Amino acid sequence: MLRIEGLRVAVEGKRILDGVDLEIAAGETHAVMGPNGSGKSTLAHVLAGREGYEVEDGRITFMGEDLLAMEPEERAAAGLFLAMQYPVEIPGVSNMYFLRQAMNAVRKARGEPEIAAGAFMKMLREKAKLVGVPEELLRRDLNTDFSGGEKKRNEILQLAMLEPRLAILDETDSGLDIDALKAVAGAVNGLRTPERAFLVITHYQRLLEYIVPDRVHVMVRGRIRRSGGRELALELEQRGYEQFAAEAA
Amino acid sequence: MAAARRMIEPAPFYGELFARERARLPGHGRSELERVREEAFARFVALGLPTQKAEVWKYSPIARFANREMVVAEAAVPRLEDVSAWFGGGPATRRLIFANGHLVPALSHVGGLPEGMRVTGLARAIEEWPEKVAEALAGCDPERSFTQLNTALARSGAWIEIADGVRLDEPLQLLFVHEGGESAAMTHPRILLRLGRCARLHLIETHAGTGDGHCFVNLVCQMALAPEAELTLDRLELGAAGTTLLSRTLVELAAGARIRQTAVALGGGFLRNETEVRLGGRGGEAILNGLCMPRGEEHADTLVRIHHEAEDCHSDQFFKGVVEDRARAVFAGKIIVHRGAQKTNAYQANDNLLLSDRAEVDSKPELEIYADDVKCSHGATCGDLDEGALFYLRARGLPREVAASLLVYAFANEVIERMADEKLRALTRRAVLDRVPGGAALEAEGLL
Repeated sequence: MLRIEGLRVAVEGKRILDGVDLEIAAGETHAVMGPNGSGKSTLAHVLAGREGYEVEDGRITFMGEDLLAMEPEERAAAGLFLAMQYPVEIPGVSNMYFLRQAMNAVRKARGEPEIAAGAFMKMLREKAKLVGVPEELLRRDLNTDFSGGEKKRNEILQLAMLEPRLAILDETDSGLDIDALKAVAGAVNGLRTPERAFLVITHYQRLLEYIVPDRVHVMVRGRIRRSGGRELALELEQRGYEQFAAEAA
Repeated sequence: MAAARRMIEPAPFYGELFARERARLPGHGRSELERVREEAFARFVALGLPTQKAEVWKYSPIARFANREMVVAEAAVPRLEDVSAWFGGGPATRRLIFANGHLVPALSHVGGLPEGMRVTGLARAIEEWPEKVAEALAGCDPERSFTQLNTALARSGAWIEIADGVRLDEPLQLLFVHEGGESAAMTHPRILLRLGRCARLHLIETHAGTGDGHCFVNLVCQMALAPEAELTLDRLELGAAGTTLLSRTLVELAAGARIRQTAVALGGGFLRNETEVRLGGRGGEAILNGLCMPRGEEHADTLVRIHHEAEDCHSDQFFKGVVEDRARAVFAGKIIVHRGAQKTNAYQANDNLLLSDRAEVDSKPELEIYADDVKCSHGATCGDLDEGALFYLRARGLPREVAASLLVYAFANEVIERMADEKLRALTRRAVLDRVPGGAALEAEGLL
């Protein structure tokens, strides 16, 4: 589904990703772990198409298409979803309206008919319940004055509504207490299907106790230094990132 | 010499026009009114028209519009369906409707008002109380030439007087339709409003420009609020390309009186809106909100003066601009805290979105403080759309244009939601969506 080869990315002339290779197949859940500044979030942003990153080398194919040639909205329509580390507050636009606009924009781009208002509301209520987003939050302005946990849940609600092929979770665990973390992880697990892949980006092993990955990759200084099964995460928990930093140096 | 450059002589047609029109004005032959008009016209000629050397006109070349050959606009008779699109309020809303500066009695309705409340067209007020009108006109804004011109030529407008303790719950709307014709036509509407002690009014003022030609509107509003009176004023300007609209709103607030004004300018070749508020008694409050969205070659200029003359008053200015293409937005807001006006709270914010390299924003916040126990702040910002927000929306599938339009709408909506009238808010939101490229896509999903 997703294939990243030799990806080199710089920001304002400084190289952040230094040759990333990664392949994710449908139905798989991969975790990318790494210390602060290792390039994890840069990888997530480059995948989603954020401006301000210079791709110096390498290629990314998603469902057989050249991902780097696509606009962010085209990537969304193709089935790529990024749950953001810092969801943006947009006062003046209701959460519910935004969700409907997003759903129909994606449907339109795929040549599918728009969702009827009644069907949308029914689906929204179901998914909101599943993810644990109260109705009141749907009527509020998008992310505006939401708590950290509410913002993260709202991202997962969008994921549930938009039904992407590949969902990237960028530090979804940051700022969550243990109960919120369990709830969010439970919702994500409910969305795992044989067709859908997940890329979970995290600093801590803790999230991976609840969202159990098929593969774990350790990123240090812009490159994946080691890949392995879920036991690699536990090893990291015990020994930290330092050994990899030494290898990278 | 310097003074001569700040003002230029009015073009000769003004003299001929005044000589011709004065006999056609309501109340012609009433000596007191005649004298006020003559003096005002003489004052207008003596003051001249401001050039861009005059500080308050630095960014706005008004003489270019005001000194070309013009005629006085002739009466027009619009049909109900021509004006109903701009109706604010509800079924019980009373309205005075003006076409090209002339009252249209057939479409206006101000019947059944509560005891102690008078709402009439200016012409009728002149017939009934010429001395009172003359007194209100005389001595207003002696140093401002456009006010003098208005005083000399005002033929219509509104007289609104509410006695102590009288309240009108339904809004009152003044709806002006300005049609640009073949020859540039001018109108000089005058609104005279007085609220008695504890009186309350919600006024809606709408200006709609139609047609392809030019028109020049020189509006003056004088509003005096007695102690504890309360005025809510929603103003919407939807001008056409050939619309030049100058508005001057003068507000006098006595102790404990309050005004809450929200003015939105969405179109018009050249718009200049001036608001000057005097907080003359303890505990007064002035809340002024504003939005302009010039695009193409449009020019939108906002001037605000707030005089804190008494203790313990509060003022808050919240102005936004969205500037596209080669358009220009000007904001000059000044807070003057006079000696002795202790415990003043005065705030001002002017935030602008500059959406094109060739667009321009000129923002000039000023504070003049002559008291020592005050809280004052001002801030001005100017920037592009937030890149993070734009990315967020696009990453959820919204095309760039739709995402950008949604952010512009959200930015503008923070002012629009401060309008008191729901119908006017809806009208304004629709007009905003009409002005952004992704507006149709947003409306299709039920944004409004």
